[in-house]
Parts: sequence; structure tokens; C-alpha cells
Amino acid sequence: MDLTPNDEQLALQTATADWCRDNMPLEAARSRRAGLWQDLEAMGWSAMTAPGMDLDHATEALVFAELGRFLAPMGLISTAAANRWFAGSFEGKAGLALPVTGSDAMRILDPVEAGTAVMWSAQSVALYAAPDDQPHRPTIDLSTLQGRQPSTSPVAVSNAPTSPLHLQLLSAAYAVGCADAARDMAADYARLREQFDRPIGWFQALKHICSDMAVRAAVARSQLYYAACALDAKDGEAAFHVAAAKRLADQAAIDNGRANIQVHGGIGMTDEAAPHLCLKRAHLLQFIAPADAALLLEDAA
Amino acid sequence: MDIGFSPEETRFREECRAWLHANVPAEKRPLNADEALDFDKAWQRRLFDAGWAGINWPEDYGGRGLSIVEQVIWLEEYAKAHAPWIGSNFVGVNHGGPTLIINASEEQKAYHLPRILKGEAIWCQGFSEPGAGSDLAGIKTRGRIEGDELVVNGSKIWTSFAHVADWQELVLRTEDGSQRHKGLSWAICDMHAPGITIRPIQKMSGQVEFAEVFYDDVRIPLANVVGGLGNGWKVAMSTLSFERGTGFIADQVKQSQEIAELIATARGSGMIGDDRIADSLAQMRAEVAALRAMTYRNISEVVRTGQPGPEASVIRLFTSELGQRLERMAVLLMGDAAIDFAYGDDNAVGDYLRGFAATIAGGTAQIQRDIIGERLLGLPKSR
Repeated sequence: MDLTPNDEQLALQTATADWCRDNMPLEAARSRRAGLWQDLEAMGWSAMTAPGMDLDHATEALVFAELGRFLAPMGLISTAAANRWFAGSFEGKAGLALPVTGSDAMRILDPVEAGTAVMWSAQSVALYAAPDDQPHRPTIDLSTLQGRQPSTSPVAVSNAPTSPLHLQLLSAAYAVGCADAARDMAADYARLREQFDRPIGWFQALKHICSDMAVRAAVARSQLYYAACALDAKDGEAAFHVAAAKRLADQAAIDNGRANIQVHGGIGMTDEAAPHLCLKRAHLLQFIAPADAALLLEDAA
Repeated sequence: MDIGFSPEETRFREECRAWLHANVPAEKRPLNADEALDFDKAWQRRLFDAGWAGINWPEDYGGRGLSIVEQVIWLEEYAKAHAPWIGSNFVGVNHGGPTLIINASEEQKAYHLPRILKGEAIWCQGFSEPGAGSDLAGIKTRGRIEGDELVVNGSKIWTSFAHVADWQELVLRTEDGSQRHKGLSWAICDMHAPGITIRPIQKMSGQVEFAEVFYDDVRIPLANVVGGLGNGWKVAMSTLSFERGTGFIADQVKQSQEIAELIATARGSGMIGDDRIADSLAQMRAEVAALRAMTYRNISEVVRTGQPGPEASVIRLFTSELGQRLERMAVLLMGDAAIDFAYGDDNAVGDYLRGFAATIAGGTAQIQRDIIGERLLGLPKSR
């Protein structure tokens, strides 16, 4: 039993964060530079657990949490799933497909330059043709565009029990990163911003908001690690642990996103400042492979 | 990273399970204080004789000298087997003993540690005072040095097990005119010494589990000072950091049993049909799982680096607040039967009322949040 990253994993974690800081800063999330997607693919992050790769879910989850910290493109989640489950019938970038409630259409998140899209359900993941020829519309997450197309039949379906868990785990990792980003942004600001002649982080009212952000992030990250290991170990309770990870990560991302804005005060409500980017990403993430509360109540295996 | 255990660890787990299965007493721990004391001592002695007391304590002092992983496995199996609460041995085994292991002289360790492990000596804590709660450095109890003795005057409060204890971890001011963290010492006080008066305090749950302790010219040999005169704050902090670190494994297993029982109860009564109840049960089940993950992360950190990571303080805070949410849910699920609670009842209402201690004792939830903000996030110290 060891739930701390080993030296190799720590090095990979640090290298990922360093690369993101230089090439994909969070503050620029609303208008990503041209060529970013090609760079992300070149770094290997869209195919870490594709057939032939010798990496485990634990390492993949660690890296995706770092990517999520910089609000990396949503298409990385779906493309990683497509590379893993649909190798051969798929190439390039896959958008993330979601049903539109009350309509026959489906949303394709992050459709730019994609040819296909992956849709998650609790039982399977499915690959759809999704050429990038529809108009792009905004989403609540300023870093993510969407297209819409009529529902069609999937090109391929993976019913492997692990496939929906894999996508759910990666989106939980993104949410963990998002919660971390909001926590760090709030703590940085609380150390710098002065009122009443001292940093606002001196006041318990503000300090404790930040401490609660740290608690939520630590809780969510711990469960993410356990869930990833459970998936690697083909543990009978893996589905429970991944669902628990997703639920706690989504909550951490939203609650930390909200708290970060409160800590920032007036500037936190503006379009110009970065806090709303984390909150809006968190709101989008809760629609990706959401955790089923009924599963969390089921008897232990 | 992996969540599997080695073949040796698995074998050790099986040994624990087999022994517990054959030896956990069928009768419950008595509520009456005197009977409870006899029960606790007899049970601790049985644990010691079978080699289960002090699994990760040094062999020289009666322990097994195994790693923290074996200690965790034992505590997990202990809770799963519904073995009795450690009761009056709590402070000695979980608090005083570990402090002595880190800070005490050979003589002090050789005398006290085996007695703690065998259940022969009961310990209590003596940190808080009426004027020194969260602000522990405000301690006023004084120890005047006279020859080779300390002469102690003052009082301590919220001392659990004071009425049954043989020894106390007493933090007191040994330097005249010293301020705050300076001039404090950590001494082993004989609770049977002349000049000690104990005033029991009843809790809002009805139990009399803690007390106020008064010292009137109580004499303590200077040889009982641990870690050197004037180093009391450092010694006390080593105890508290232990308490915040790895002392919560059994609680965590207990909480996972409690949430399973609550879900079963809610199914049985049909209250699970209330979406709000179902959702908070689901939430707490996820949180209990995350708590185990967080505990394992912390243990892994201890194995890797020799000490708990800075996130240990997060475990402490999260466990205590989650425990209170579970206790509150248990009362909710009782329905109107909760109205019938009376002092002396050993039920969910009693647990709920007693449970308020979790976010007060050993550093309030607010102090924990200060620590997390300052040590984990680097925010400026407010105190």
C-alpha cells in the first residue's frame, strides 16, 4: 500500500505543471493559442493509456490533475478515452459529446479540428462521427466552445466495464486540478492584498475560507488517488471509488471556485480577473460523467 | 501508487483477525466508571500478553517494534471486529506513551512505557486551564523549584479520566515571570500525591467523564520533568502533532461501519425515500471513503519520510466534522424516539451530545483551520 506518488511520478507531475505554466497559462484559458492542441498531442497526454503504452491509471490521473489545474482543453479527456478504447477506428482529436435535454441534438464540446466525439454513459463510452463543420457557440466555460449536431448512431461502442470509469476518472482529475487552482489563487491573493494595514489572509474570517478550500482539495485528491489505484487493481469496488472521487472533486471545484471569488472581493466578480474561469470550468465539469448517488448507497461488494 | 498489501502484511492481517475473533469480549464495556476501569485494565492486559499492545513501540519497552503499516492493519481489524473502545487507557497508549518515546530519558521510558502497555498505569492529560484553552500558552499553573522538587499550585480543567488516573502529563510554568511559550515544563505528575483535589464535571450527555484538577503545594520530583526544564512547549507540541497525525485510524474504520449501518437503518424505515436524506447519506459514504484514502496517503508519507505530511491537520479537522455529521444523521433517523432521551441512555442521542467534543478537544476546529491556513497555505499568523 502506498498512496504517495513515486519519484518517477513526482517528476512527471512537476514536468507537466512546468510545461503548462510556460505554454498554457490559466489566465489565457479563454483564447488558447493556435497549435496548442498539436503540442499537447506531441507531449503524449492524449494517449497515455492507449494500447501499447505501459502507463497505469494512477499516473494518468496525476498528470490530468495537473492539466486540469491550468484548465487544459476538455477535448483531452475525450481524446484520451478514444485513443484507449477506439484505437484503429479513430485518429486525431475527439470532442466530448453530451446529450441536449429535451432535444434530439447532441452537443460536441471542444469541436475545433475534431473529426469524432466520445459520449459517456454509466455503462459504456461511444464514438460518433463529428466533423468540425458546424458553427461554434460559446459554453459557460469560456475556454470551451461547442458545436451541435443531430443525434446519430455511434461508429463504435465500448462496453468494457472500465471504459466509463476511465473517462469519469479523468474528468474527476480535471476537477481536482480546478479546485487546486482556485485554492492557490485565493491563498496567493490573501497573502498579498492588504486591508486594515495587513494582508487579508491574517483575518480568520478569510483564512478559514482558504483552509476549507485546502480541506476540500485534499479530500478530493486523496479519493482520486484511491480510485485510480482501485481501477488499476481491478478492485471490485472500483466503480464506487471512481464515483466517490467524481462527486467530491466536482464539489471541491465548485465550492472552491465560489470561495475564490469571495476572497478576491470586487475584482473577483470582474470579467478581467481569472477567478471566474475556474468557477465556470467547474460548472461545466459537473455535467461530464456525473457520479450516480444511488451507486454510492449500494452495499459494499 | 497502489492500494494492495504485501503477502507479509496480509498474513499479519489474518493473524490479527483470528486473534480478535477468538478474544473480543462478548460483553459491552460497562457504563459505570469503576466497572469500566476494571474492564479496560483487564482488556489491555490481555492485549499485552498476546503481543498486540504497542505494535509499533520499541521492543525494549514492551512493544513489537513493527512499522506503522502493521499498526494501521491492527487498528483496522480491531475496529472491524467491534473490539472495545480503549477507554481509560486512551491517554497513556495514544498520547503519553508516544510523547515519552520521543522525549523522555531512559529511566522514565523504562519505568512508564511497560506499565502503560500492560494497563497497569492509567494516564490523564493536564494541558488546558480555565484561562488557557485555545490560547494554551496562557498556562498559569506554577511549579516552584525547591531542592530536587517542583512545588505545584494552580488548576487544570477538562481532564478526562482524572478520577481514575495514576499519572498525568502536566504542563506548567517553572520559570518565574516567564511569558507565553517560554518557561514551561512538561512533567509526570503522580495523581495520588497529597494536595491534589479532583472536582468531576458532568457533560451535557449526562456522563461524568472529565474533571477540574486543583494543585495545592503538590510535590513532584524534578526527575519527573520530561525533555528538560523550560522545554515544555516543545514536548507538548510533539504530543499534539502526534494526536493530529496518525491517531485516527480506528475512528475512520468506525465511521465506515456507521455509515453502512445508517444506510441500512434508513432503508429499513423507508426514510431513504426522502431525497435529502438519501443524498446526504451518499455524500457521507463518499467522504468516509475519501477519509480512508487520505489516511493511507498520510501513512504512506510517514513510511516514506518518517513523519506525517502537512496534510495531517486536514485529516484531524475532516474526521471530527464528518463524525459529527454522522452522529447528527443517526439522531435524525431515530425519528421521534429522540424525544425520549434521558441521562444514562447509551444511544445515538448520547453519542451526538458527546460528539461535540470532537471539534473542541485537543485544539478546536477554528484552531485547526488556523493551522491549515498558516502551515499549508502560508497565510500570515494571526496569533
